[in-house]
Amino acid sequence: MEVEILNSQELALLVCVAIAVYAAIRVILEKNTLKKLPFLNVMSFAVAGSIALLLPHPLSIIAAAAYFIGTTLESNAIASTYAGGTTSDE
Amino acid sequence: MIGDLEQILIAAVVSWVLFVSIDIMFSLPKKGGVSGARGIAAQIEATGGSRNGGNMMGNIVSSPDASAGTLLAACGVFIAGIPGGLLAALLVYIGNRICYDPGYAGTTGAVMATFVIYGFTMAGFSAASFIAGMVIAILTIQGIALAPASRLLDLIWRWRS
Repeated sequence: MEVEILNSQELALLVCVAIAVYAAIRVILEKNTLKKLPFLNVMSFAVAGSIALLLPHPLSIIAAAAYFIGTTLESNAIASTYAGGTTSDE
Repeated sequence: MIGDLEQILIAAVVSWVLFVSIDIMFSLPKKGGVSGARGIAAQIEATGGSRNGGNMMGNIVSSPDASAGTLLAACGVFIAGIPGGLLAALLVYIGNRICYDPGYAGTTGAVMATFVIYGFTMAGFSAASFIAGMVIAILTIQGIALAPASRLLDLIWRWRS
């Protein structure tokens, strides 16, 4: 029988962490602030997933969601500031 | 029993189809919900992308949409089964309201993903594979090449409407 090196949870964590590092590098390399934000979004997904995979506890759902919603709100604020603020919202 | 890597790849495809179809159903590509989303769409369009696809990508950045719902539902199901997924849906609903988003794409996505992912766990999948799968799915849209991704979303959007 083949020896398993990683179980499914560890493999999923490895994928999330690798994508988080990749997205962080893309954020640094991208010059345009508004175009940094989609890459930052990918990093937030990967980090929120890693939180749940590292700490499988009921409160981790709240921690991952709070982290994710927090970064989304920050991206929203940064993007809206660069795009002219609430004056252009109806 | 299929291998862990294959599970993650299948989960990525399922998550991709789920979140793109729910976002398109809720007309996310139609317009940017906040000025920031429209700003991101304008930048993507200026570098060879499509405005409608850019709107959807801007909306994904600016508020938890069906992709975020799918990710957090996967985290919830992984930790606590269906109740965990529904707790995640409630948190996404609160997140939508915090982020000045009048829509229900995120909440709908989280509830639907909870049941889809739970169904796959019945078939021998690990919910952890769906966490990694959703991260891969969002990577293909928001993390590799923004302009071609926006044109692909625009293609699906026009096909729908």
